[in-house]
Amino acid sequence: MITQLFIALPMTIIVIGALILMLLSHSKRFNLDRLNLIAVFFLAISFALQYSNIGDHSSTFLFPNIFGESFILDDFARIFDLMFTAGASLTLLINHDYFKSRNYFNGEYFALILLSVFGMMILSHAHELVTAFIALEIASLSIYALVGYHKKNRVSPEAMMKYMILGSMTGVFFILGTALIYGAVGSTSLTEISLYVANKEDHDITLLIVGSSFIMITIMFKIGAVPFHSWIMDVYHGAPYPLTMFMASTFKIAIFAIALRLYLVSFAPINAFWSELLQIITIITLLGGSWLAISQTLVKRMLAGSSIVHSGYLLIAMSSLGLGSEVAAPAIMFYLIAYFLSAVGAFGILSFIASQNKRQMTYDDFKGFAQRRPYMALMMSIFMLSLAGFPSTIGFLGKFYIFTSAIESGQILLAGLGILTAFISVYYYFKLIAIMYFYPSDTPQKKLPIDISTIFIAVMALLVIWGGIGTSLIPFIPGADGFIDIAKQTISSLK
Amino acid sequence: MMEYILSYIIFLPLFIAIILGVFRAEIKVLKIGAMFSSVATLFLVAWTLYYFDPHGGMQFTQNITWIQNAGIRYIVGVDYLSLILLLLISLLMPPLYIYMFHENRKGYWYNMMLLQTGVTGAVLSLDLVLFYLFWETMLLPIFVMIGKYGNGLHQYNSMKIILMTILGSMSMLFSIMYIGYVYFDTTGMWSFSLTDLSTLSFNAKTSIWLAAGFLLAFAIKIPIVGFHTWMAPAYGSSPTPAVVIMSSIMAKLGIYGIWRFGFDLFDTTLVYYAPTIIALALIGLLYYAIRAITEDNLRKMFAYSSGSHLSLIALGLFLTNVYAWGGSLYFIATHALASAGIFIMIGLTYKRFKTVQISALGGIASRAPLFTFFFAFFALSIAGLPGTGGFVAELLIIIGAFKVNMWIGIVTATTILSAMLYIFWMLQRTLFGTSNNDATYDDLTLREVIMLLPLVILLLVTGIAPSLFTPIFEPQLNAALHDIMITIEGLK
Repeated sequence: MITQLFIALPMTIIVIGALILMLLSHSKRFNLDRLNLIAVFFLAISFALQYSNIGDHSSTFLFPNIFGESFILDDFARIFDLMFTAGASLTLLINHDYFKSRNYFNGEYFALILLSVFGMMILSHAHELVTAFIALEIASLSIYALVGYHKKNRVSPEAMMKYMILGSMTGVFFILGTALIYGAVGSTSLTEISLYVANKEDHDITLLIVGSSFIMITIMFKIGAVPFHSWIMDVYHGAPYPLTMFMASTFKIAIFAIALRLYLVSFAPINAFWSELLQIITIITLLGGSWLAISQTLVKRMLAGSSIVHSGYLLIAMSSLGLGSEVAAPAIMFYLIAYFLSAVGAFGILSFIASQNKRQMTYDDFKGFAQRRPYMALMMSIFMLSLAGFPSTIGFLGKFYIFTSAIESGQILLAGLGILTAFISVYYYFKLIAIMYFYPSDTPQKKLPIDISTIFIAVMALLVIWGGIGTSLIPFIPGADGFIDIAKQTISSLK
Repeated sequence: MMEYILSYIIFLPLFIAIILGVFRAEIKVLKIGAMFSSVATLFLVAWTLYYFDPHGGMQFTQNITWIQNAGIRYIVGVDYLSLILLLLISLLMPPLYIYMFHENRKGYWYNMMLLQTGVTGAVLSLDLVLFYLFWETMLLPIFVMIGKYGNGLHQYNSMKIILMTILGSMSMLFSIMYIGYVYFDTTGMWSFSLTDLSTLSFNAKTSIWLAAGFLLAFAIKIPIVGFHTWMAPAYGSSPTPAVVIMSSIMAKLGIYGIWRFGFDLFDTTLVYYAPTIIALALIGLLYYAIRAITEDNLRKMFAYSSGSHLSLIALGLFLTNVYAWGGSLYFIATHALASAGIFIMIGLTYKRFKTVQISALGGIASRAPLFTFFFAFFALSIAGLPGTGGFVAELLIIIGAFKVNMWIGIVTATTILSAMLYIFWMLQRTLFGTSNNDATYDDLTLREVIMLLPLVILLLVTGIAPSLFTPIFEPQLNAALHDIMITIEGLK
């Protein structure tokens, strides 16, 4: 009993932290700075505890006599937990300046972030469909509230309503799919579903396929694949910068946690069924996302559009997975890490600039940025290069693994299309670099303030480079090999 | 020492640039650092040359694991072909730094050092992914230098050059990944090392597509006619050091790529492409020459002239006989020297007259004899003046062309004629006649003469005594050509 409680501690401590933050947020003695650090403190404890648990390749269930097989504890989920806690802490730390610059933030903001991290953790541990749904809704509900946090702003509540209505709507698909699967299998436990699918010759699996396709719709919606993408631009635009960063990086990873678990384990014998459908979705996601990203004038919206393209790359690997590629699953993990590092950095710089002035940032506002802030411009260029997949950054290796997985599974044309959209993406990422560097500035050079935000952005930039070229020379800092080793370890613990 | 020497040569400029950047060096220190990096690299290259064994094949190789999971290795090595380009890069950098002596914008110097690392790495790397990395990295400084320090529509032109060249690189990346996969499929391991991959054989259709991926990248870089739209605007608006590197080194890297990777990976398929490329190169010869005749901007004129001569080199490469190959190899070196010289001279012209339009110049000879001498010398060595290296090289290629087919020979021979035409006409209008420009200007200073003199001497030596260099390159060249000939015979 006690040991069970202890292994659940990394999750529970997040909830405890959220509750404590809610209590403290009404105390006069705790200003935003301290609350931020308290939130990071709880995340760090959770990270440390979960880190110490990694390494045993056994998978157990939490409180099996109470919850049955609802919660699984394996390395796959633990490594995802690490990414969530790391992602949330980085979001909080990098936006340190931004929180101070806006007066609408208060303690509940951090509590909600922690609650959504809790939801994501449960999602990665979920081994039962209803649990997964509840976890998804815990995470989503917190994010709905966070998106609309700036009540006085015109676009923020609009974005929230848009996201909430569409999100709940697709949540219904998840429930419907679960019901249909229950109708076919007689259980919502993934163990039972796996058994049912494994013996697919014995039954008619049409109902199961319909049900799981509904679940796929929810997943596609959450990652912003193209027929289900209409919310992304406005929600990313309307949400405060910290939240856009959190959604683009951390929340997307959480969706892939459940998607990979379903796709790799439960539906593995039948996932070739979706590959044609996935290919079509991938093609329109890549092209549509590129179109959206090219046509923007606001940098934040460009990043939102490009995040659709990055979902498209991940979908390439998903469909390679269905066609039996060996390297596809680690490629997805690696790409998630790569995108996480680059996107957090890019949004971090945007939020840092936004903390200095209160305008929307168009491309033109970056004119002469390199002259005003040379180091920031350099780091922004590194993130842009990584997002564009320029070699010597981690983004290049991410794309490299994805495209080789596509070639390996025989999807030559899809790999070619991926390359083509990567080429298109060069345009909108390099445009920002060009604008930063090629125009003179009328204001003099400013000094780089050394504080928590800038230090962590710099760390991200170094990790992006080191993840692209680094070897295992320096212990504890994963280089290009280290990250893919982590990814492989994650996937291998799933099987 | 000797097994790491190539890595030192590649990374020394980058390393010095990083050190200087981290310590936010003053502009004076930066200049000294850059100069030191170029001279030290030159010294290391000279050392390599001294120990280079003409019969030794690939030498000074260093082969270490880099990204184990993807089978990407760090492999560098030098043979007759890369040695030429390596020598050229290291010889051109010190004069360029002397040229930039009064340049006080720091970014200029950092970009040049990064550029040197990029081009040197691309020349020396023998792993395809490593090659791709350097191939892309050398674009960035060019992109920044054109966009930031260029003139005219420089922002637009820098986007244009980067988009077009990256389109080529992306297609090459696709081919690289596919070849890596084929290797994985046959052996069960990932590898992108050239020696591993050249053991593969593809079926005809796959091979044609894969070769197309590579050829697109190289054709855009050279540029073969049809892929050339970035060239004149980019040359026209880039600052002098960037344009020197572009025409002398980067364009040659396209040829180098075909030579190194094309012939190693798909020798038979390139023979399939040969008629197309020979035709395009012949069209290019004439087209670029005509554009050069009609062009009024000196930079653009020599951009087209450079395109014409690079078409000649590509032509020589695909004619596959010993004269043409030898001529191409020799022309790579001499054209690089001559075009570096002429583009530096155009830079000096711009410094004096603030224009490079031919119609705005004139009558320089009467006031600046030294300037006139150097300008005319480099321009004529581009045209293939007997006594300079370019003449020997062009002659060899033309002989090779006549060996293959009389008509190809005749068209090829027109390149000397047309070059003479536009060069002499240009010289007449810029150097002689009456001045159309009331700028006051001086003759070449001592610093400028010192910077140009090595190029002049090298051009003369390569022209008068080619036998000094042939022993270094000939044995391996003959061996390589022999292999190709066997393949071609096998096809027949």
